[in-house]
Parts: sequence; C-alpha cells; structure tokens
Amino acid sequence: MFYGLSGVRHNSYVSDSKLFPVPADRNAVVFFLLLGLAAPYLVSSLYLNSYILPWLIWTAAVLGLNLVTGWAGQLHLGYAAVMAVGAYSAVHAAKFGIPWEFALLIGGLASSVIGSLFAFAALRTKGLYLALTTLAMQFVMDWVLTHSPTIAGGSHASLQSPTFALLGQDITSDAGLYYVAFGWCVLVTIFMLNLRRTGLGRALVAVREKDFAAAILGVNSFYYKLVAFAASSFIAGVSGAILVSTFYFLAAPEQFAVNVSIQVLAMVIVGGLGSILGSYLGAALILLMPGVVNQLFSLGANLLGLDLGIETLAHIPNAAYGALIVIFLMVEPLGLGKLYANVRDYLMVWPFDQLKK
Amino acid sequence: MNGPVTSGSGQVPVLECIGIERRFGGLVAVSGVDLRLEKGEIFGLVGPNGSGKTTLTNAITGFYPPQKGKILLGGRDITGTAPHKVAGMGVARTFQNLALFNGMSVLDNILLGRHIHMNPGVIRTALYWWLARPQEIANREVVEEVIDFLQLESIRHEMVDGIPIGLKKRVELARALVAEPHLLILDEPMAGMNQEEKEYMARFILDARAERGVSVLLIEHHMDVIIGICDRMLALNYGEMIASGIPREVIKNPRVIEAYIGGAHAE
Repeated sequence: MFYGLSGVRHNSYVSDSKLFPVPADRNAVVFFLLLGLAAPYLVSSLYLNSYILPWLIWTAAVLGLNLVTGWAGQLHLGYAAVMAVGAYSAVHAAKFGIPWEFALLIGGLASSVIGSLFAFAALRTKGLYLALTTLAMQFVMDWVLTHSPTIAGGSHASLQSPTFALLGQDITSDAGLYYVAFGWCVLVTIFMLNLRRTGLGRALVAVREKDFAAAILGVNSFYYKLVAFAASSFIAGVSGAILVSTFYFLAAPEQFAVNVSIQVLAMVIVGGLGSILGSYLGAALILLMPGVVNQLFSLGANLLGLDLGIETLAHIPNAAYGALIVIFLMVEPLGLGKLYANVRDYLMVWPFDQLKK
Repeated sequence: MNGPVTSGSGQVPVLECIGIERRFGGLVAVSGVDLRLEKGEIFGLVGPNGSGKTTLTNAITGFYPPQKGKILLGGRDITGTAPHKVAGMGVARTFQNLALFNGMSVLDNILLGRHIHMNPGVIRTALYWWLARPQEIANREVVEEVIDFLQLESIRHEMVDGIPIGLKKRVELARALVAEPHLLILDEPMAGMNQEEKEYMARFILDARAERGVSVLLIEHHMDVIIGICDRMLALNYGEMIASGIPREVIKNPRVIEAYIGGAHAE
C-alpha cells in the first residue's frame, strides 16, 4: 500500500545504503523531526518540560543501553550507575567553572572510562553471570554515592546543578532546555541509525549471534564487547548529565539507584532489543503509562461512583501497568518496535500476505 | 587437472602441520598427523565420522590448539594463535553446520567477511558520511564482485534465514572468499546437496583457485568430488593418518576401503 518500494531504483551503492529506503518511512521521519522542532510552539510548557523533555533524554539513554544489550547481546543491570558517573562528573566540572559543552564531554568520557574498566573485568563472565557482575557495579556506585559527601554534595547528598549554558549563553527558558534534550536525542539516534549500516554494527551483531563464527571472520569478540560498553557508557554519561542539568536541576543518589537500572532495561525490552523506534516507544510506555493508567482509574472510579480508598487507587494502577507489560511481551516478545515492523511488513507486500508469520 | 601434483617442491608451503596431537580428556581426537599444502593446491581431507577431520581444522584455525605438534602458515608458526588472529593472517573457513548470522541480510553476512580489511570503530560510525561511507562503498565493490562470481545477485537483500540450504552454503563460501584468504578451509561444503548443486559448488571451488589464487583444504564425504577436483588428499581414521597421496591411488588403499566401507568388503 502506501508502504512500498515500487519505483524505487538504486543506481549507486550510496543510494542503496540509504537509511530509509521506503519513501513512506522517510516522510514519517521528516514529519516527526519537524514536529519535534515545533513542539515548544505546539505544546504547553508544562507538558513540554515535564513529559516530552525527560522522554527524549531517557530515549537517548535507552538507545545507549540498546547498543550493549540489543546489538552486542550483553545483559547490563548497572546502567543507572554509569549514568550517575556522567551526571556527577559533569556537574562537578561545571561547578568548577568548566563550560557546559566540555562538562558534558567530561561526564561522557568519565562514564566511558569507568564503564569500560568495569566491563574489562566483568566481560570475563558471560550471560547471567555478567548480569550479576554489572548489578554489583550498581551497588558499588550506590555505596560510593551515599558514603562520600564530597562527590554526593554534603550531608544532604544533593548536588545543585549550575545554570545550563551553551556557547556562553545561559539557557533557562523552557524551550531552550527542551532543544538541548531534543538535540542530544537526535544525535544519538543518528549514531544508532548509522550503526545499522557500518562494520561496527555488523561486528556487534556477529558477536551476539555466533561468537565462534565471528572469530573466524577476524572479529575479536572481547574487544568489540568492550567497545560496545565504552560507547554505550559515553551515551549514558552524557544522558545522565543532561538529565540532571535540564530536568532534575540537582543530582541525588536515588535518581540513579538500582530500580532505575531495572527501569531502563525494561524500556529496552518492552521497546524491542535492537530496535531504534522501539527505544522511543519503550521509554514512552514505561515513563508515561503509570500516570495515564492512574488517571484512567481515578476517572473510572469517579464515573462509576465507586469510593476507592486512596491506597487502592495508588496500587491498582501499578498492577495494571505490570499486566500491560506482560500482555505486550506475550503478544510480541520482540517489543513494540516489532509490532510496528509487523504492520509495515504486511503493508509492504499488500495485497498479498506471505510475509505474515 | 592442471594443478600442481607433486609435493615437496622448493616453495614454502601455504600450510604445514607437523605431528599434530589433540586430546579431549582421555579421548585422542587427532594424533601424529602431518599435512603439507602447497600453494595453489586443492587438498582433500577424508575419513569416517569422528575420524578427526574437523578437530584438525579447529586446531589449524585456533579453536582447539594442539597439545603436541606445530602448525606453520606460510612458514610462520601459528600454533595456539587465537582464531580472530588466524583470520587476520589470511585463513578463511566455512563450517559443517553453517555459521551464518540469522537476522541479517545475505549482503550484510558477506560484508562481514571484509571485517579484517575494515577495522570499524565508534568514531568512524559517528562520522559516517566522512569516515565510514567511502570505506563501506569500497568494500561493497569487492563484495559485489564475489556476489557476481557466485551468482548471488538475486538474493543479496534477502534475509539469510529464509534462503534454501544450497544457497546458504554458497553465501558462506562468498563470505570466506571476500576476505581474500591465502588458505580456504571448506568443511563439508556439499553436505546435503543434490548432484546439480554439488557440481556447481565443485566448479566454484575450481574457479576460486584459478581466478582468486586461493589454496584449498577440502573436507568432503563425496568421493567423486575428492577424486574430481583434489590434487592430493589425506585419509584419517580414529585420528590417525591411514593414507595420503593422489586421490585415485589413495582410494584403492585397502585401509581406506576398510575404514569407509567396512572390513568385510575389503577383499
């Protein structure tokens, strides 16, 4: 139907390696990009800065975790700890007077160094053992943050983030902060899109799928797993720093605690391992659903005239939200991204349906 | 056949194995195996199931380093070198049970064969348009030559999971060839193929030697193929060498007949 490759002809390898070969996909991407640019003029600043901005930053973070878990196939349960390293290093650097551009870079590099050092040790184990080792990293980081006032910011363990600025220009307006998040998310997305058509992406998938076959092609799996951890930690670090400087405005240990690590992993899995669109959808579902379900339940209770206790009202949405994740994963284990891909694949071959599996 | 037939010429052999022994616990999988593969040769390796053919291959490619013996690649000792480094030295192989990457297209699978010529990294990916694209295109051209050579044009954008096994074997051969190896190790490339597919594959192996200058170590059960295209061969049984030489002579050796068909028929 409107998804189709009819009339698309490639006469060079450059045009054959386009990111979006299907015209309909390309149009959709341009549409959403323009929508993203125009968002401050379309959405009230309350929604812009309390929903869309964190969603975009978390999406960037989820894409980073997807690099390790979706592409390289390594379970990572300490991702929030890596984000914390970036956030704290960047805020400390900014407090020290370093411009934010470099502070973000320092945050990313600090995360990258600590993440890879840890991975260097952890990657000697595989599968569930690796998952547990990364979980250990999370606990080490939690402990460091709660036990070292110099890092965490005094006895209250809260660290005020200096005013965000780029190119010497203070950014305080809602729209300005939104554009910072939007820009970062777009950058990370472009990187991940390019990963699908370069040797690095292929090598990572090879390591994930069959490491012995990767080895015989000259792919050093230990090295490429390490590269995946380093790159993903960089993305995590900068995302953590942007999250603190444009959304939370102060850094506290509980923002990067173990439950956050689990939450990011949930975003990756619900969205779809190795899916870029899925990372957007997964982050949206996990971030926004609790609020939406909550409102639906209180609305429903009001309509039916039920007098639900405040505690029941607090707990039912949690259960519903959990059930929702289970249902999504039962319908499509490969996540929300795959749900979209199924529709797209069907439309691609319409009016036939031989691709339906 | 017009390939070199004699062994022991003055040239440095592509591959030389001296007294290889590999045990798994108490089981001796390969012992005392010598092998010398000259440049431009197609060398057959035969033997019943469990005779140590694949173990020998795994010893050469670094998966199971031998406990005794030496492996020389172009005169250079590579005993115990890690598989990914052996690949970088110009050894490519295919697997008995196929080792293609499912979920990737045929083209991406073959492009992975170019890995040792690409050295991909994060910076290169991040600056795709400036650093990665020229390299990707250059390597794509090499890959397309091999796709053309092995007649895979029509399926290059198919997912590799969905194509028939005969084509999968061909894709794996393509992936090995694009690495531009000196030594190509083919582990049963014709298993499960019909006569027509076998003839295609045999022709591709001969053409690969003639056009791309590779030397081939060929593991096969089909004796007609071994006799048809191999210059020399080695027969193994229970991990030991039982005969070696020119295929037509080796297959008349009573020990080979006994190992393959059974003692009662050995007359």
